[in-house]
Amino acid sequence: MAVDDDEDVAVTSVENSQSGVVASEETPSESGITGRSVTGPDTETQEQTYEKATLQMSEDAISLQKELSAIKVVAPDISVPADTDFNKEEFPESYRENSSNEKLALSYADNFRRQYVHLYGDRKALLLNPVNECGIEKFVCTTVRPTQLPYKELFNWDGAAEFVADYLNFVSLDPPHDLPSRLLSPTTVLERQKGNCFEYSTLLCSLLIAAGYDCYVVSGYATRETCMMDETRDLCPLLKKSDMAVAKAESPQNKKYAVKPPKDLSSKFIKKMENRKLKELEDGDQKKVEEDEARQLEREKPPPDPLYGLRVHSWVLVLSGKREVPESFFIEPFTGFAHPVDSGSYLGIESVWNHQNYWVNMQDCSQGVTQLQYDLGDCTLWEYMFPSNEKPILEVPEVDHQFEDEEEEEEVEKHLDVPPSWVKQIELSLKNFQMRCPMGKKTKIYKRAKLEKFAHYLMKDGLVTRLSMYQDAEMCILTQVKEFFAHRKDKLIERHHNHINGWVTEYYIPGRSCHLKEHEYKASAPGIENDRTMIFFNEARVDGLVKRVETPLSMTEYFIDRPDFLHYRHVEFGRREKKFGPAESAIPRPIEKMVERFHRNHDKNANDDVAECMFIITEERIQLIYHKEDDKISASTQEFIKPPNANEKGAYILWHSDTHTTYQVDPKNYEKKKVILYEMLVDLIQMEDRCKERVRESEQEVQRILSDRTREEINSDLTISVYDTERNEKAKQRRKELEEEEIQERLRRQVMELDYLAPFLAQIGDPDKIARGQAFRLKEDCLADLKHRLIDKANLIQARFEKETQELQKKQSWYQQHQISMQKDDEDEYLNYCSEAMFRIHILELRLNRHKEMAPQKYMELEQRIRNDPRLSEYF
Amino acid sequence: MSRLYDTVEPAVIDDDVLMKAVEEQGPKEEAGKIAKEEGIDFLDVTTLRLDFKNILKIDNLWSFTHLVKLQLDNNIIEKIEGLETLTRLVWLDLSFNNIEVIEGLQTLTNLEDLTLYNNRIQKIENMDALTKLHVFSIGNNNVKELDNVSYLRRFTKLQTLNLSGNPISDQADCKLYVIAHLPYLEYLNYRLIDDTSKQAAFTKYDIAIQEMQHDEKIATKKAEEAAKLKAEEELNRLAFVEHLNGPQLFESMYSEDVEGQKLNKMPGLPEMLQIYRDRFMVICVQLFEYALDKHGERNVEVDMFFECINEAKTENRTIGIAKIDEFMEYKNELWNLLNTTTDSKLQEEKVNEYNERASELWDVLMGIEMQLVDQLEESIKDFERNLSDMVAAFIEYVQGQFTQCRDLETQHHEKLLELSIMNLEKVVKNEMEEEMPEDLRDLFIDKDTLINAVSASHDVHLLKIDNREDTIITQVNSWMSNLLNKIHDEEEVERNRSRVTEICNLIDHLREEVDTLDWPNY
Repeated sequence: MAVDDDEDVAVTSVENSQSGVVASEETPSESGITGRSVTGPDTETQEQTYEKATLQMSEDAISLQKELSAIKVVAPDISVPADTDFNKEEFPESYRENSSNEKLALSYADNFRRQYVHLYGDRKALLLNPVNECGIEKFVCTTVRPTQLPYKELFNWDGAAEFVADYLNFVSLDPPHDLPSRLLSPTTVLERQKGNCFEYSTLLCSLLIAAGYDCYVVSGYATRETCMMDETRDLCPLLKKSDMAVAKAESPQNKKYAVKPPKDLSSKFIKKMENRKLKELEDGDQKKVEEDEARQLEREKPPPDPLYGLRVHSWVLVLSGKREVPESFFIEPFTGFAHPVDSGSYLGIESVWNHQNYWVNMQDCSQGVTQLQYDLGDCTLWEYMFPSNEKPILEVPEVDHQFEDEEEEEEVEKHLDVPPSWVKQIELSLKNFQMRCPMGKKTKIYKRAKLEKFAHYLMKDGLVTRLSMYQDAEMCILTQVKEFFAHRKDKLIERHHNHINGWVTEYYIPGRSCHLKEHEYKASAPGIENDRTMIFFNEARVDGLVKRVETPLSMTEYFIDRPDFLHYRHVEFGRREKKFGPAESAIPRPIEKMVERFHRNHDKNANDDVAECMFIITEERIQLIYHKEDDKISASTQEFIKPPNANEKGAYILWHSDTHTTYQVDPKNYEKKKVILYEMLVDLIQMEDRCKERVRESEQEVQRILSDRTREEINSDLTISVYDTERNEKAKQRRKELEEEEIQERLRRQVMELDYLAPFLAQIGDPDKIARGQAFRLKEDCLADLKHRLIDKANLIQARFEKETQELQKKQSWYQQHQISMQKDDEDEYLNYCSEAMFRIHILELRLNRHKEMAPQKYMELEQRIRNDPRLSEYF
Repeated sequence: MSRLYDTVEPAVIDDDVLMKAVEEQGPKEEAGKIAKEEGIDFLDVTTLRLDFKNILKIDNLWSFTHLVKLQLDNNIIEKIEGLETLTRLVWLDLSFNNIEVIEGLQTLTNLEDLTLYNNRIQKIENMDALTKLHVFSIGNNNVKELDNVSYLRRFTKLQTLNLSGNPISDQADCKLYVIAHLPYLEYLNYRLIDDTSKQAAFTKYDIAIQEMQHDEKIATKKAEEAAKLKAEEELNRLAFVEHLNGPQLFESMYSEDVEGQKLNKMPGLPEMLQIYRDRFMVICVQLFEYALDKHGERNVEVDMFFECINEAKTENRTIGIAKIDEFMEYKNELWNLLNTTTDSKLQEEKVNEYNERASELWDVLMGIEMQLVDQLEESIKDFERNLSDMVAAFIEYVQGQFTQCRDLETQHHEKLLELSIMNLEKVVKNEMEEEMPEDLRDLFIDKDTLINAVSASHDVHLLKIDNREDTIITQVNSWMSNLLNKIHDEEEVERNRSRVTEICNLIDHLREEVDTLDWPNY
């Protein structure tokens, strides 16, 4: 009965420590563990069994013995998974041992567990003290280690969840219906880049708590798909369309004088019959569609799960309140997505915890998690472990307990808090952070879609994400591939390849030379003069071009905001005449027809403002259609037939009035003068030439863009930001150079600052500290040495000076003796020598004087320096 | 400077000179030939150059109303004249002439570039109308006073000014003075004004300029206030109740009433008069406010009406345009077909079909138009009814107010009569305590005179009130009938006529086109 005793003690201790918080005996809601009388009924049952046993023994002892002997009791195998992959020595002490505080918390938790098992024997065990990497039991709350990492992406819950989901590889629980016996620290999990759901959640919680969220690790049950991270039945998140249906709430204003619609003279009966027929047809179609959909759903439904509701899972609960979270929600750590608290993927919650406390769910989970409430302070819903609960507590009004308050307060102070986390600080290098996924790659399978993620700069062509969509669930028929790029020099960011109709669409960010924004072409025919659509950034273009649509024999361009009001140009090409020769594409296609359309220019009369100008080149005709006046429904038109010599250079264009016809909407408008018509014709001929030029330019531009694209696609260079110190080789080199320079500079300075005291210090054996006597002697020595050297130098100069003077005197006397018998050359030589000697003597004299002047100064300087020297300063 | 008169005979601008100049400066080559054949309208000419012609007097230019650029430099013109009709002129060159006074430019409001270089002008003046002036050259003239520069302050768009060669530019601080007084100027004497000289100028003339700016500010403020007042009055006038928001009507009643003015000095009357005046004013102000209110309502009604019929018109127009576009497409297809086919039978068939479709189009377009006419007629009727209801209600109210005025007047008149008779009795008995003015005493001769005077005053007052009432009612009625007539004429008759003409014209043109079309005949 040792266990019983133990439990007794434990209960009282808990009761003692919790009495200040948990409802006392008057509490109407007696659901708390401590609220029940534990010992009484329990011992009773045990006694009863004992009696029964003795009875049976006496009745049928032998058979029972036989039966019993058949049962082999084996000690439950709770062996920790072999620690082969961890070297205990690598971990700091906190991993290998428990501090006294932790031990206390552990025993406390153990106590809690026992009571829990005792009271709720039918419920599953709680995850309280799993072992860590070193095989040491650790309390789960201490495994949560709030840490803020220096990356701004991790500051918000979605970024952090996505990171955790990307960064780790998932390991399923084994067996799936049991709690894991081992829970690794978040640090180790980050290092290994893999973990089970509990490790995922603990890591995510550690990041989120540090970022200021009110969040918890949840231990509970979930569907097989959630536990196994099976997303094949979910739509890919990239495919989910944000519903931006803007409801136009523009109620038609009831206007007083609105004209009445004309009378409807058609038969209502016929209409009704037609509608009925249409409806029947539609209904039939819809039924068919619905049936198809139902069948499809049926087919895609997951097979029934034998372990439904038993699969253990862990996720993260974020409660509203902090960080402006308006509503509580779950985060699935495997995927990083938020789920509402009534999500169908989660089937039940056993307990939740964070770094401060541990709560056990007391609510019924037979309906899944839909009905649960997350008022953690309410002890009828959530049984907490540590009394230091910062949650607002649903307290029973205490009227007569004022005298107990003081006692309670004292007790509150004695409460046991969760000890600080034993986990080492979470660290993550920038490189690893940027690699995101293990090895920088990750592939996920969704419903009829495959998503591949790559770290930036990992792929040579800058590919970051690739999403392949399939028509069927087995993923055999590819329908569309979407590729996302980053850091590409050619500014490509997205490419969609539709495998059904063969169209490829590329999207670019601003900054390309021709300001291309989108480019759509057929994968089978990427060359020029084929079907394609190009969309441009019209704000950046001088010509305001926004779109160019091409087919093999036509080209249409759309413009925006041009000062000449042009908004549309359409060209139709003819087929090239068959010619023999290799350079077929060098000859441009003949233009058959060009159409230019203009917006209304309000400075002009509508009747003088050209709306459409059509150059029919094959028929040598030019047609003009003017804008309609505000109250008119038809437009004036004009037609010219080009004179035959119009296209010759420098030709003299003659006027024939029969080459021109005009239709004026208003017959009152007088005919235009011939001069004006003639000038118009000349202008139009020029305009046609200009238009042709534009068309040819456009063709060339297309050609240029396409050749650029092919070249870029082959090179696929990536750009590196100047702020990216890791990757920018140039910046790195420059930085290295700077560092080297600095080192050299320092060396040079060291040489310059040769320690003048060094030899003297060396004489006295380089003591760490210089005594007073030593200091004085040092000074004396130093000064004496300098004096000595100065005198030596003076002497040296003096000696040389004297030597020179003597030699000069000798020479002079020699000269005086031999002056008569001297040759001219010798005399010159002598004079030369004299002047040189005089010069040397003079220099020496100067130097000596200077030295005499400088010497005392130098001496004083040294003395000053010694006085100020930090090593000796305390004595002077 | 100018040449002497006696050396060369001065020329006159006559038709020959003008014709020659126009032809010389007009279109060239083939276009010129055509133009010559056709003749050039002076109306169409936009630029004209008449330089080195020894012209003494500007004349005969009145028909060049579309002229944009006119050069009259290097002549011997003495007076700026004859340019009044050239309102579109942007560019005027009168340099190297003998002009002494700036004048005759009042109508040239579009002028941007004016050159008066090398003349004999002493004063810059008479240019207030040239608000768009951009470039002004008055170099080599006789401008002596620096004050002339501040005249140019009103031209906020003036960017280039040439003053060189004038007596004032010999003064040392002329340049800085000009820069400081004309802050918008960018080029002075064809040189860019740099920031340093601007700075120097502003520091030098800081106080003077501030003073000037202050004065100008006050002036603009005054002008704004006056404009505001005027706008308010205009609004009141549109509401037909100008001068009714105060004692104006009351005062006007007495302004022509000699007897009344005299009687008002009667002892005991001023107090009564004050009460009467106050009550009268209350009624007037009531009327005033009501009228403004109703004016707003009427405006809303009219706006709504026009909005609705414009909407209907646009809708109708889009339908018509769509129909025509449809037909044009068909026509283009047919043309292509006819151009390629050689089967004469088919051609004939197609032409017949085309003509049929053209008539069909006519039917459709006319149908749409008739529908619109019906719709508009109905709306206009509704509008007419509502508007006349509103006006009637307004008139009723006005009449009610004025009846109140008349009642007040009658009451006042009775009281006045009573008081006068009382006073007369006092005067007769010589019991009058207060002294009466001389002219009033004259009325207190006998009872008849007094009563006559009092009734005369009363009649004048009633007449005034009646007149005012009549004005308001006639104004309202005429406003309404004008508006309705305009709507009938413009929206119903004229619009319909022009649309029908347009449709007929179009269909005729379409038929004609197919008749004149020549297709390949084999």
